[in-house]
Amino acid sequence: MSIQNLKVAVLLAPATHPVSGRPCAAAADSAALALALKLVPSPQHLLVLYAGDADDAALGPYLAQGVSCINVLPTLAGAEISRVLARQLQDVDLVLCGRRAGGGQGSAMLPYLLAEELEAPLLPDALQLQVGNGQVEVEQYLPKGQRRQLAAALPAVVSVHERASAPLPYAHARLLQGQIRHLSPVSLQPGVVHLEPASRRARPLVAASRASGHERMLGAIATDGAKAGGVVVKQGDPVEKAQVLLTYLRDHHLVDF
Amino acid sequence: MNFPLALTGLFWLGAILLSLGLARRAALWRQGRAAQVAWSGLFAIPKRYFVDLHHVVARDPFIARAHVAVAGGAVAVLALAAANYGLMLYLPALDVLMLLAAGLMFAGAMLVRSRRKSPPARLSKGAWNRLPRSLTLFAIGAGLAALLAISGDALGSAARLLALLALAGLTLGGAELALGIGLGGPMKHAVAGLLHLAFHPRQERFSGNKRSTDLKPLDLDSNEFGVEKPADFAWNRLLSFDACVQCGKCEAACPAYAAGQPLNPKKLIQDMVTGLASGDGQGYAGNPHPGQALRGGDAQQPILGGLLAEDTLWACTTCRACVQECPMLIEHVDTVVSLRRHVTLTRGTVPNKGAEALANLRDTDTVGGYPLAARYHWAVDLNVPVLLPGEHADWLLLAGEGAFDMRYQRALRALVQVLKAANLKVAVLGEAEPDCGDLARRLGDEATFQQLAGKMMSTLRHYSFDHIVTPDPHLFHCLANEYPALGGNYRIQHHSQLIAELLAKQQIPLRADAETSTITYHDPCYLGRYNGEIDAPRQVFKGIGIKVVEMERSGMKSRCCGWGGGASFTDIPGERRIPDMRMDDIRATGASQVAVACPNCTAMLEGVVGERAEVVELAELVAARLAKA
Ligand code: SF4
Ligand code: SF4
Repeated sequence: MSIQNLKVAVLLAPATHPVSGRPCAAAADSAALALALKLVPSPQHLLVLYAGDADDAALGPYLAQGVSCINVLPTLAGAEISRVLARQLQDVDLVLCGRRAGGGQGSAMLPYLLAEELEAPLLPDALQLQVGNGQVEVEQYLPKGQRRQLAAALPAVVSVHERASAPLPYAHARLLQGQIRHLSPVSLQPGVVHLEPASRRARPLVAASRASGHERMLGAIATDGAKAGGVVVKQGDPVEKAQVLLTYLRDHHLVDF
Repeated sequence: MNFPLALTGLFWLGAILLSLGLARRAALWRQGRAAQVAWSGLFAIPKRYFVDLHHVVARDPFIARAHVAVAGGAVAVLALAAANYGLMLYLPALDVLMLLAAGLMFAGAMLVRSRRKSPPARLSKGAWNRLPRSLTLFAIGAGLAALLAISGDALGSAARLLALLALAGLTLGGAELALGIGLGGPMKHAVAGLLHLAFHPRQERFSGNKRSTDLKPLDLDSNEFGVEKPADFAWNRLLSFDACVQCGKCEAACPAYAAGQPLNPKKLIQDMVTGLASGDGQGYAGNPHPGQALRGGDAQQPILGGLLAEDTLWACTTCRACVQECPMLIEHVDTVVSLRRHVTLTRGTVPNKGAEALANLRDTDTVGGYPLAARYHWAVDLNVPVLLPGEHADWLLLAGEGAFDMRYQRALRALVQVLKAANLKVAVLGEAEPDCGDLARRLGDEATFQQLAGKMMSTLRHYSFDHIVTPDPHLFHCLANEYPALGGNYRIQHHSQLIAELLAKQQIPLRADAETSTITYHDPCYLGRYNGEIDAPRQVFKGIGIKVVEMERSGMKSRCCGWGGGASFTDIPGERRIPDMRMDDIRATGASQVAVACPNCTAMLEGVVGERAEVVELAELVAARLAKA
């Protein structure tokens, strides 16, 4: 299959803004959208799905970010969203979604349940993505700056990390042009959803060092009395001093120019 | 050869060429969109020329005199030539008058020449350098022609030579006048300038003392998204660009240009001229946008990317210093915002922190993404009542975005203290207060502005109050000048205006033993140039016994702090920072304190590093001199 007739779907759901509680675009879903838009020649080639009963207005931010049409699958009370979605995704090669919900009704379980439902591999926490020769390659996010390359044959599900893309630009004109299409309700065996509060035991924090904050700061910054972690640069003109800083930053891969 | 007949021929040839040229240029203007202006504006030209335009030109008395002489002389010569030779009256008396007019024009042309000897850097060179020569030639030609006509046969055989000289001068010099408009030469400004006065996009500029500084709302529902290509401007905007004389007054006043950011307002207007005439832009002989090459454009092609670099657009602080200075009454800020609107509304690619600020405004109604409930945290111990629907307050205080800034909270607390000392019944809206939308509007996000303005207006409808007071000139400008177009009319005062009034009525108890001190004062653009209010703050300082040493650029000529128009968010790099330059202005006065009257000026000037004057808010100065209760 060539990349031209690759069928790509993106799953989007409104998030809840952490400060105002208003519906907004979820960072991870937007990142998935950004990666998907790079794969297709124009936004019209994307299949964009949302399953849920949020207001159309809550989906507006995604339209403004460049989706031309969002297909809304109304779910019957208690119907399992993964199954509702899987029905629409049968002949899709690549399904992209956010790796976690931004509040609201979304759930970070969705990619897993969906992959299971579709019997397709899941590549979680993608930062970058390439498609070719019938397979998808993904650079996966791991904590502490680590990365891992994953590959799987298509069709596949990829859940995208929120850092995969800078926030997509928001354009009011696209919001006005975009469409929201309501598909007919899907009747499925209603599953039962149990909502229960997450229990989390407080874990006492163990300090890595017993030294006081001030001592640790002194250890980390440069002082004239050597014995600390840094260098004091007093000689030279500002350019030379800046050069020392730049070398330090380069050594630690904090800048790459 | 019959000399008078030759003059008649020459006159009509010139008139025909001028008309053809005007038709040619008018066809370019008509590429633009329709505009709502009345033809009757044509009758208003003389008044607008002698009052409104001359008012600006007269700030530079030398060039004002030179222009009166050249233009007045030329118009008189042309009028007399039209009557005497065009209509073939051939009256000797008119020849005498023509000789006098030509003399006047000659004197003016000499003045213009002397200015061009060592021209200030802001003036364009190129074709503009040849203008004094053409004007001189025309004046000499007209003078000689008049002389010949008066002297009759007295000159004998020399007459033939003189006649040839006169005709040569009139032809060469007259070509500049007749062909200027059609070929886009320097004399284009005369015709386009006069028509621009008639069809100015802001007609209200000419009606009395009313300032016209508000941005006009877009009709978003009918897909008005600003300007993408030159032909998207209204035709009278295109005409206004053609009026530019490339005097560079705007360039000299522009803070972004001085900071080495890639924006020169003169070049911006010339870019629009290049665009409307679909030229290659290489004829421009003035200073460029710093660091940018000359570019061509097309009336039907997008302006950004081709004609103009995006950075140029986002460097503008919307400070209106250029508009204030422009002798041709061109509206640079409208131009910048029209272009921004298209980018923001159709692509959303606002650079650096601009897009984030807009997202915050959409999602939280605050620029910084703060919870609304935190807006009045600084007032928690000041007993300022939060107004409830159904209650009444004499004064409603709108704190604006400055309320989230820890530095500015000190100023707000001082303001409340002062208002309480004056026994005013002040209340606030608490968490019901949204942003006024100023930042969104300047960044071109008209949709978010209209949403926020709608929210603010519907909120205010629920409360009962007599007046609004705010220390934020941006909020003040929005509510006072821009909400009326959306249907909101409020009695609103800037805190400097209110405090000045209270001081005048001796309603603020002041300490008798307050020390007198000397400060300098930085006028906020949105209070000064946008609202004409430069007196109230100074009255306040006077009222509390503070002497103000003025900076060279103060009052209506004040230099922007660099925040306006969202420039501190789009943050286009230059060689210097605008607030650093402003602090240099402040240093030059020798004052150890600079008073400010705007949360954004406060933040920008407080952000200047190194040895500098202390930044104090107007309200803080007053509060420090309150009598102990
Ligand atoms: S825009 Fe106005 S101030 Fe600027 S160069 Fe042109 S005429 Fe002069
Ligand atoms: S408004 Fe101010 S920053 Fe913008 S072009 Fe004019 S002078 Fe320059």
